[in-house]
Amino acid sequence: MRVLVVEDEPRLAENVARSLRESAGYAVDVAGDGQEGLFLAESNAYDVMLLDLMLPKLDGMEVLRRIRQSGQHTPVLVITARDDKESVVALLNAGADDYLTKPLDLGELLARTKALIRRGKGQPWPVLVIGDLELNTVNRTVQRGGRAITLTAMEYRVLEYLAHRPRAVVSKTELLEHLYDYNWEKFSNVIEVYISGLRRKLNEGSSRQLIRTLRGQGYMLQE
Amino acid sequence: MRRDSIQRRLIATVVLSQAILTAGLLITGVLVTYWRLLSSLDAGMEARTMSVAALVRYTEDASGNVYFDNSLLPESIDPNHPDQFMVWADRTGLLTHSEDWPDGLQFEPGPNQHWNFTFAGVPYHASRVQHLPILDREEGKAFQPQTLTIVYASPTIRIRQQVKAAGAFIALVSVLLLGATGWLALWGIRRGLSPLQALAEQAARVSAKSWQLQPPKEAEEIEELRPLTESMTQMLARLQNSFVQQREFLGNAAHELKTPVAVLKTTLQSLLQRSRSSEEYRAGLQAALQDLDRLEQLLQWMLRLARAEQWAQDGRRREFERIDINATCEEAVERIRSLAESRHTAIQLATDGPVPFRADPEDLQLVWTNLLENAVRYSPEGGSVEVEVAHDEHGAKIIFQDRGAGISAADLPHIFDRFYRGDPSRTRATGGFGLGLAIAKALVEAYGGSITAESAPGKGTRMTVELPVGREKEPKG
Repeated sequence: MRVLVVEDEPRLAENVARSLRESAGYAVDVAGDGQEGLFLAESNAYDVMLLDLMLPKLDGMEVLRRIRQSGQHTPVLVITARDDKESVVALLNAGADDYLTKPLDLGELLARTKALIRRGKGQPWPVLVIGDLELNTVNRTVQRGGRAITLTAMEYRVLEYLAHRPRAVVSKTELLEHLYDYNWEKFSNVIEVYISGLRRKLNEGSSRQLIRTLRGQGYMLQE
Repeated sequence: MRRDSIQRRLIATVVLSQAILTAGLLITGVLVTYWRLLSSLDAGMEARTMSVAALVRYTEDASGNVYFDNSLLPESIDPNHPDQFMVWADRTGLLTHSEDWPDGLQFEPGPNQHWNFTFAGVPYHASRVQHLPILDREEGKAFQPQTLTIVYASPTIRIRQQVKAAGAFIALVSVLLLGATGWLALWGIRRGLSPLQALAEQAARVSAKSWQLQPPKEAEEIEELRPLTESMTQMLARLQNSFVQQREFLGNAAHELKTPVAVLKTTLQSLLQRSRSSEEYRAGLQAALQDLDRLEQLLQWMLRLARAEQWAQDGRRREFERIDINATCEEAVERIRSLAESRHTAIQLATDGPVPFRADPEDLQLVWTNLLENAVRYSPEGGSVEVEVAHDEHGAKIIFQDRGAGISAADLPHIFDRFYRGDPSRTRATGGFGLGLAIAKALVEAYGGSITAESAPGKGTRMTVELPVGREKEPKG
């Protein structure tokens, strides 16, 4: 999963980004002002966007409006210092999906971020079940047929992304876009390495292949 | 506490003055009536005295002896209360007196006189007249006439009754009129005071949510109420201003505090999210301390601003020594020197003789340091900042000129607003909270001065502080 954080207070952005990386294993891009945020949001595919309202150059409300005008469906979690009813209503009506008021609680921020990603992909429950595979996004554990499977961080991220979109064809490019942040060099063959590692670990003690490869198109997770 | 009422006071005043008027009228009426009746009584008595004198006859010889002919006695003035008279002739002595002369009533002949007396419960008005009758005599006969003294007394019972009746009539009419005017006054005063009532009702509607006082039209039209409504409106405007300012400050402060608190909180939370090495904990705690430092700084600046704004509203009250403005400028330049050197910015201070001013030097230094710091920060590296202190009979001007990027026209009107950051990324990078200029403005205003900014984008900014040097407000209180 890849998250965009638009926050002008660098220490706060740093803390939020670190928490998302460390505790949720997400790829995080940080923008320090509204213009940069809008640019990143328009040029990359994010699974969720955290947006501060008081931003230099372009305020958060305007960023939100422009993103929605350009037809993007990315869930947006607004971080605001104001929690009066009017401004919350205005926010939600402008296309925000949820909001958090400052001072933030990182636990709440993580939970809301995960919930928004889930909902954005049509998954209501934090434990994703595909056949006999169970992926718990809260404590990031994977089981198959009741057997716990230990994955590397990157393997988990690939599987988590696929599990959010079961039975859909996910291209390598899409995986790359959603698993790495802006500063990362993107090589498509690393995906193949993670997929083969995942297959090996998931198939231990089971004959049924969960991840299918569709040549020239991508991967699909199905029971 | 006894509640007093303007209405009651006004009515009491009206009634009292009416009562005094009435009493005056009553007394005057009674006196005039009495005096008129008495003078007509006097006239009647004079005529009767002459009639009585005419009844004194001389005998037909030359002796000049007299006798009284009581055949044609005049009628009493008041038929119910007979008049009394007594006649003396100077040689003959007591000649006669009225028929029913009361026993024991004694008079002596003497000069002309009018007086009142009461005898046997009957009040009398009396006159004593000396009279030499002109005689109808044959010519050539020796004759010695006698001078007569006549006392004529008439009971004044009827006069008294008449005076009493007149007094009672006047009093009755007066009381009726008094009642009527009292009622009229009550009605008029009630009506006259109704705009006050309406004004009070309007004033009762003023609240922290709705500061607008709409003086009723009837109150506005009344001359006496105009100063009241005007001062109420002005007072409300001032109150509202200060209330809104405080609420804004509180709102701003709470809002501005949220971000540093969020920073600190998230720093600590992210540190706790998983187990870390002791080096990581150390680094995390140090970061948290730095965040806390920043929070503390923000609080200090807010307090400084709150205090300066308070002073600006009340006027700086303390009694200050005269200090030299130049010296405070030099001190401020000294404080900024290390920052300026690190940015290779030169500060030039131009002064022209000492400029004495009553102030706390710390206040002025804070203003200069804030302005200088801005000027240095927004100057390009290697640039220069000029400070000029000028002084004439109108006051002192302290000018800070930088050659930096300038302030955009959109930002210029707001730079003195608290927490305003023209370009937040930039000020945040330079560590500002958007309070420095607000504090400078409040402090300058606390000393009765003003601060203005002019800026040409690309050419630099010029901040001008004007202080009322030589015409300082005398400290209040």
